[in-house]
Amino acid sequence: MNDHSNSVSSSPGASGLYSAPTDVRMAHIAAGLKKRRAASKRLRFYGIMAIVTAIGFLCILLTTIISNGYTALQQTEVAVVIEVPAGEILDDAGAIDAEKSRNFNWAGLVKRSFRKEFPEVTGMLEQRSLGELLSANAGYDLRLQIEDAGVVPTGPVTYWVKASDDVDMLMKGRMDRTIDEKMRRIKDDQLVWFDKTVAKDNIRLVFNSTFFTMADSREPESAGVLGAIVGSALALIVTVVLALPLAVMAAVYLEYFAPPGRLTDFIEVNVNNLAAVPSIVFGLLGLAVFLGFFGMPRSAPLVGGMVLALMTLPTIIIATRASIRAVPSSIRDAALGLGASPMQTALDHILPLAAPGILTGTIIGIAQALGETAPLIMIGMVAFIVDVPTSFTDPATALPVQIFIWSDSAERAFYERSSLAIMVLLLFLISMNLAAVMLRRKFEKKW
Amino acid sequence: MDSTTKPMAASKLKAVDVSVFYGEKQALYDVSLNIDEKSVTSFIGPSGCGKSTFLRCFNRMNDVIPSCRVAGQIIMDDVDLNSPKIDPVLLRARVGMVFQKPNPFPKTIYENVAYGPRIHGLAANRQEMDFIVEDSLKKAGLWKEVSDRLNDQATGLSGGQQQRLCIARAIAVGPDVLLMDEPCSALDPIATSIIEELISDLQNRFTIMIVTHSMQQAARVSQKTAYFHLGKLIEYGDTKEIFTRPQNEQTEAYISGKIG
Ligand SMILES: Nc1ncnc2c1ncn2[C@@H]1O[C@H](COP(=O)(O)OP(=O)(O)OP(=O)(O)O)[C@@H](O)[C@H]1O
Ligand SMILES: [Mg+2]
Repeated sequence: MNDHSNSVSSSPGASGLYSAPTDVRMAHIAAGLKKRRAASKRLRFYGIMAIVTAIGFLCILLTTIISNGYTALQQTEVAVVIEVPAGEILDDAGAIDAEKSRNFNWAGLVKRSFRKEFPEVTGMLEQRSLGELLSANAGYDLRLQIEDAGVVPTGPVTYWVKASDDVDMLMKGRMDRTIDEKMRRIKDDQLVWFDKTVAKDNIRLVFNSTFFTMADSREPESAGVLGAIVGSALALIVTVVLALPLAVMAAVYLEYFAPPGRLTDFIEVNVNNLAAVPSIVFGLLGLAVFLGFFGMPRSAPLVGGMVLALMTLPTIIIATRASIRAVPSSIRDAALGLGASPMQTALDHILPLAAPGILTGTIIGIAQALGETAPLIMIGMVAFIVDVPTSFTDPATALPVQIFIWSDSAERAFYERSSLAIMVLLLFLISMNLAAVMLRRKFEKKW
Repeated sequence: MDSTTKPMAASKLKAVDVSVFYGEKQALYDVSLNIDEKSVTSFIGPSGCGKSTFLRCFNRMNDVIPSCRVAGQIIMDDVDLNSPKIDPVLLRARVGMVFQKPNPFPKTIYENVAYGPRIHGLAANRQEMDFIVEDSLKKAGLWKEVSDRLNDQATGLSGGQQQRLCIARAIAVGPDVLLMDEPCSALDPIATSIIEELISDLQNRFTIMIVTHSMQQAARVSQKTAYFHLGKLIEYGDTKEIFTRPQNEQTEAYISGKIG
C-alpha cells in the first residue's frame, strides 16, 4: 500500500514494483502465487478434515444407536398349548362374559399349561423358576387374544405368548450364557428348559407391535412408546397453539409498531437473551408458576406444552422477524401508499410472504421442543404412566423423557428399547427438519 | 379531515417552508411552492438533492421512516396535511403514489388493482369491482394487453407493464393527486414513451407530480418544473421558461449538463 502511494505521489516513475516494467511485476506476482495457492489448498484440507470428523462422529453415534436398538423391533414368543375352560368365562348365551374374564386367573392357566411341557419339573421352586421364562403379563396377553377373537375354542389350542425379557435377551444373543451362574439373570436349569423349548421349535421372534401400541410398563416386553408419543404430541399441540400466534404477533409488533426507544431496545435484547436461557430454567419457572401458583395438574401435557411454548417463543419470534425483514420494503411501501393501514399491510402482504419462513422457524422450534427433556422432568412428566393419555390434563410422559427413564433401568431389554425409542425420536426430528427444508424450497419466492 | 373526504374537491397543493430531517441530517431546507391543479409538475435536480423526500411529504410516506421528521406545512384545500388531525390512511387514498421500481404485489393482476378499492370498501359487489379494475387498467393503457389474463401473476408481466399496472393500482382507489417517483427509470425507451403518453392523458383528471432525471421527459410531460439542489428549491416556474430561459445559473448549469 505504502509503496503504491509513494511511487505515485512523491516520485512518479521511480523505483518500486508499481512502476516497474510489466514482466518484472508479473514475475513478482507469479512468485507469490505459489504461496497463495498452497495456503488455499491447506485451508481446503482443513475444511475437509473438519467435515470428515463431524460425519465420522455422527456415523459412530448412529451405528451405536441402531446396533443397540434394532433388535427391539422383535419380541420373543413361546408356544404354549392351552385348553381354556370355557365354562368359567362364558355367560349363559355362550358369549365371553367381561366380568368373569376379568376375574379369571389367566396367568395361572398359562403357567400351568406351560408346565405340562416339562413333566420332569416337580418342585415348587423349580416350577416357579420355570414360569419365569414367560412374561409376567403372558396371562393378560392371552386374555386379550381370546377376548379379541370373541370365541373360546374347545379343546387344546397352541397359543403364542410373550417370553420374559431375559429369555428375549437370550434369544437375541444379548446374554452371555458362559459367565458364572451367579452373575447371570437366567439360571442353569432355566437354560436347560430354554434349550429344550428351542429344540422343540416352540419359540420364535416376531415383530414387536407392542412397542408401538402400548404405553410404559414395568415389564420391558409389555412396554411401548405410544404413550410417550401421544404425550409429546399433546404437549407440542399446546406449544404450537400458544407459541405461534404469540410469537408472530410479538414479531409484527416489534417490526412495525414498536415506537423506537429504550423500552423497545430493552425488549429486543431480552427476546434474544431468552433464546439462550437453559431450558431447565423454563422448567423451574413452570414448576413455580404453573404448578405452584396456578395449581395446574402435575405431569400434564398441558403444562408441559406451556413450558415448551415459553422456550420456543424466542426462536419463532426471531425467525418471524427475520422473514418479515426479508420481504422487500417495496411491497410494504406499495400497500401503505395505497392507503392500507399498518395492520392490513402486515396481514394482507407481509405475513403471507413471510409465512414460509415463519413456518420453517416454527418447525425448527417445535423440533427443539420435541427433544427437550429437562423442563418436562421439572414439571413431573417423568412419572411412570401405563396408560396412553387421552386428554391434555391426563398424566403423561414425553418421548425424550421416556428414553431417559428406560436408559436408567436395570433390565437389558429396556436399554434396547430406549435405543429404539431414540430411533423413533430421531425419525420424527429428521422428518420435521425435512419438512422445514421442503417448505422453504417450495415457497422460496423471487420478486 | 372533512375536506379530505370530499371526493371531487379541488386539490390545490401548497408547500410552505417544508424542511425535512433524517435524524440530525437536514435533507430539505424551507421549500415553498404551489402546485397547480390538474397539471403535471416535475421535480428535477442532481441525485441526493431531496426530490423523493419532498415528493413523499405529499402523502406522508416519510412517516414510515422512523428517523424522518418533517417541519413546515403542506396545504391541500386549506388543510395542513402534517397536522395530527389528518389520517395518513385517508390521505393516501386521495394521494396515490407510483414508485421508482415497479412493485406489484406477488398476486394476480386483478388482485393488484382490486386491492385498494377493496380495503377502502369502494365496490359494493363483484360487478362493481370488475368495472373498477377494467376502468383503471384502461386508463393506465394496460387493458388491451392483459384483459385475457387478469388471473395471471402480476410478477410475470414485463417491467413496463408492471409499472403501468402500478399506475392502474394507484388510479383504482380514485385519488386526485398522483405522485410518481422516477416512474420510468427502470424502463426502456419504448415503455418510457408509453408511460409519458399515459401521463399526458391522465393530467386532465389528476394533479400529477413527477420526479425525473430526464430533462427531456420533464420538458415533454410537465407544465411546471422545480429545480432542487442540495435540499434547496433553486428555481420553480413554467417548464418552457425553465428550459429556455433559466433565471438561476445553477439551474442553467444543470440543464445544460454541466452539473448533475
Ligand atoms: N431513509 C433515509 N435515511 C437517512 N437519510 C436519507 C434517507 N432517505 C434519503 N436520505 C438522505 O436525504 C437526502 C435526499 O434524499 P432523496 O432520496 O430525497 O434524494 P433524491 O433527490 O430523490 O435522489 P435520487 O435522484 O438519487 O433519487 C440524501 O442526502 C439522502 O442521503
Ligand atoms: Mg429519489
